[in-house]
Amino acid sequence: MPVVKLFANLRKLAETKEVSVSGATVGAVLNELVERSPALDGIILENGELRPHVLVTLNGHTTNDLSLQVAEQDEIAIFPPIAGG
Amino acid sequence: MIDTRIYEMFREIGEDLYTAQMISSHGGNLSIRLGDRVIIKRRGAQLGRLKPHDLIETRLDKNDSGVALASTELLVHRTIYLNTPALAICHCHPRTAVAFSFSRDELVPIDNEASYLLKKIPVVTEEFASGTPQMANKVAEALKNYKIIMLRGHGSFATGQTLDEAFHWSSTLEESCQMELAAKLINEPFIEYRGMSGSYTKF
Amino acid sequence: MSGWSETILDIDLNTLTYKTYPLDMEMARQFVGGRGIGARLLWDMVGPAVDPLSPENVLIFTNGPLTATGYQTSNRFSVTTKSPLTGTVLDANSGGYWGMQFKKAGYAVLIVRGRAEKPVWIEIKNEVIAFHAANELWGMRVFALTEKLGQNNNKRNVLCIGPAGENLSRMASIMNDRERALARGGPGAVMGSKNLKAIVVEGRERPEIEDKERFKFLLYETRKLLAASPLTSQALPEFGTVVLMNIMNNIGALATRNHQQTQFEGAEAISGEELTEKYLVKNASCWACPIGCTRISKTEKVEGEGPEFESTWALGAQCGIDDLPAIIEANALCNDLGLDTISVGSTIACAMELSEKGYLDSDLRFGRSDQLAPVIEAIACRQDVGAELTDGSFRLATKYGHPELSMSAKGMEMPAYDPRGLQGQGLLYATSNRGGCHMRGNMIGLEVLGLPKLIDRFQVQGKSSFVILNQNSNAAIDSLVLCKFTNMGVADEYFARVLSAVTGVQYATTDLIKVGERVWNLERLYNNREGFTAKDDTLPPRLLTEAPVDGPSKGWVSQLEPMLKEYYRTRGWNENGVPTRQKLTELGLVNLM
Repeated sequence: MPVVKLFANLRKLAETKEVSVSGATVGAVLNELVERSPALDGIILENGELRPHVLVTLNGHTTNDLSLQVAEQDEIAIFPPIAGG
Repeated sequence: MIDTRIYEMFREIGEDLYTAQMISSHGGNLSIRLGDRVIIKRRGAQLGRLKPHDLIETRLDKNDSGVALASTELLVHRTIYLNTPALAICHCHPRTAVAFSFSRDELVPIDNEASYLLKKIPVVTEEFASGTPQMANKVAEALKNYKIIMLRGHGSFATGQTLDEAFHWSSTLEESCQMELAAKLINEPFIEYRGMSGSYTKF
Repeated sequence: MSGWSETILDIDLNTLTYKTYPLDMEMARQFVGGRGIGARLLWDMVGPAVDPLSPENVLIFTNGPLTATGYQTSNRFSVTTKSPLTGTVLDANSGGYWGMQFKKAGYAVLIVRGRAEKPVWIEIKNEVIAFHAANELWGMRVFALTEKLGQNNNKRNVLCIGPAGENLSRMASIMNDRERALARGGPGAVMGSKNLKAIVVEGRERPEIEDKERFKFLLYETRKLLAASPLTSQALPEFGTVVLMNIMNNIGALATRNHQQTQFEGAEAISGEELTEKYLVKNASCWACPIGCTRISKTEKVEGEGPEFESTWALGAQCGIDDLPAIIEANALCNDLGLDTISVGSTIACAMELSEKGYLDSDLRFGRSDQLAPVIEAIACRQDVGAELTDGSFRLATKYGHPELSMSAKGMEMPAYDPRGLQGQGLLYATSNRGGCHMRGNMIGLEVLGLPKLIDRFQVQGKSSFVILNQNSNAAIDSLVLCKFTNMGVADEYFARVLSAVTGVQYATTDLIKVGERVWNLERLYNNREGFTAKDDTLPPRLLTEAPVDGPSKGWVSQLEPMLKEYYRTRGWNENGVPTRQKLTELGLVNLM
């Protein structure tokens, strides 16, 4: 099953750093994740759309395409809006 | 050959512009700057259904073979790139914004989103159609200080670092004007909800 | 005039005398302040014949027309000099309170020339300038000295060097308000070479604002914008800049073990999340800043400001170290000794690689967190192996026969973002006027975070125009002088309007960016005059030829050459990277040639 890694304040909200979530596409995985951790609803997704400034990577490549296919050994990482120097 | 990712970006935004009723079949234009080159719509192409061969790449500062096929608005796009830090331009005909431009010298939004993002949209006038230096200079001059401006009776010119950004300003403007038009129809006293909004016109 | 202070304070340490004279306001309009005015003055004052550590080099401290107005982050100031690390023009800027106080004392610029015969410190109380003997203070560390000289954030501010600057370490920083730093490029060594230990300032008057109504409106709007941006209102205050550690590691652009890898298995252990959970006491901010990105961290041994992302990376991933308390303590030590954490960390990493490969005879090894504190002390004191490291990784690696193992550009150690994972960032490091640095334009907004929008980090064509805009915009902000984090929530068009409202001189958005372009080109001219050419716009061979073997950036090297060609053309320079006459005329710089 694909693995989802959570960072920054998403960890507190989801009460975990990492979780296995099934889904054939990025969107499906995120929807499933939000279903399991309702505290993430409205933070990562809003009406099924990726919220602005939320950073999602698939195997380290940034994407905002929820229809991207996800393979069994893939890793999705989600970061809330962040920056630095 | 233009990179497919770039073509995709143009195609998607062109399609969005058409379905949002912000352009007619053959109106409007999109361009980006890549270093010292420009990619722009081919003359006569439809933004709502762009094909890969509808995008022309040409030099920024002077003509090369690409220019024969490029849009007649190439001059104004070049002038904007040479006079502002713009890296992308979205030019469209947002009908409600154009309607307001007939009677106003500046558009000052009353809705939240456009107040927040745009504050004020100047309206400039230039009678002659696209392709003249006068029009190009006037539009570029106004864009030195604003990211989106109106050309009275014609349409909007918006700049950004990416086409996505330029489109964002354009779409926000049209939405804002539609809301204001609806408010005018409703015709009830406006309840001010924004702090210091009297200063927007001085932006 | 409003906004600007109009007086230059010019101090001669040879004779311990000073004079004041008016700032050229025509020049001030063109270069605005901060980095801009610094560059313009340095052009006149320090030429190719001058050794950076000789009395003929100068230190030019500048503030800007917005400083101390109370606009968000209007606390920052600059120092400009010729860098002892790189030999290029150097400007460094810092936050805290000193810059604000210096403006309140009534000066736009402080020039420090010559060399004092014996250690001195300078006290500036508005128009009263005093020179004091610093023999007793020489050797003191930054924290103790700052307290001794009477640091009071809002009233009396101390700027000083620690032992590193006294010992002319080319990585020495100038510290202000205890833990803020004018860090990169070795300005601390210049100050040390002048026998100047500290500059303390007290001021009384805030600057005039021309259009108070408009200023108030822009202040209000900026407050709303910063509060609405999740970066400036949540992420930065809660996690600080170290929040980037996990992101950069995740996308395979976190330089590790002297750039041998692009991912670090210990990233989580030194991440912002870990810092916040285990070592954070609270956040803090500089004067007039609502963001509050500063960390106050505590371990068993220290409590103080920091660490920032770059410091944590340099002393962490770059050295293969995943011991966060040791990194926090090493960061505090660098602050107390007056050293630039990025150069120090990356130089230690270089030494680690040289040692492991047998080129350098030392026991420094990747992953040895216990070695950090001792080697940092040795660097500051120029002792033992510290004497080998204290002048930076390029001199170290060259001395031991392997200059290619210094991860630097123009001799300045590069920061965390590995160019093999971010094409635009590589172009940035190679062309930055002060050397390998991310604060003179930063592509992570566009290439990683989607600010304002995401662009393809591996794309090469067209990248140069983004880099150029970034560099110009940054130079403008460095001239105002504001904090670049405001730019995360507030667009350049606001800054142009604030500048206009404060000074009464009308700057359109494009005019402000043009100031940045002017400053950038002037700095380039300066470096050209010093003998830097297109050959110096390069990166270490590792980044150009050794692709990562795993991770998301697998197989990629920096495509510098095509990006650079496009960059020169787009900047209006010839193919040798020299600004053309036409470009200089356009920017009003042609009379300098």
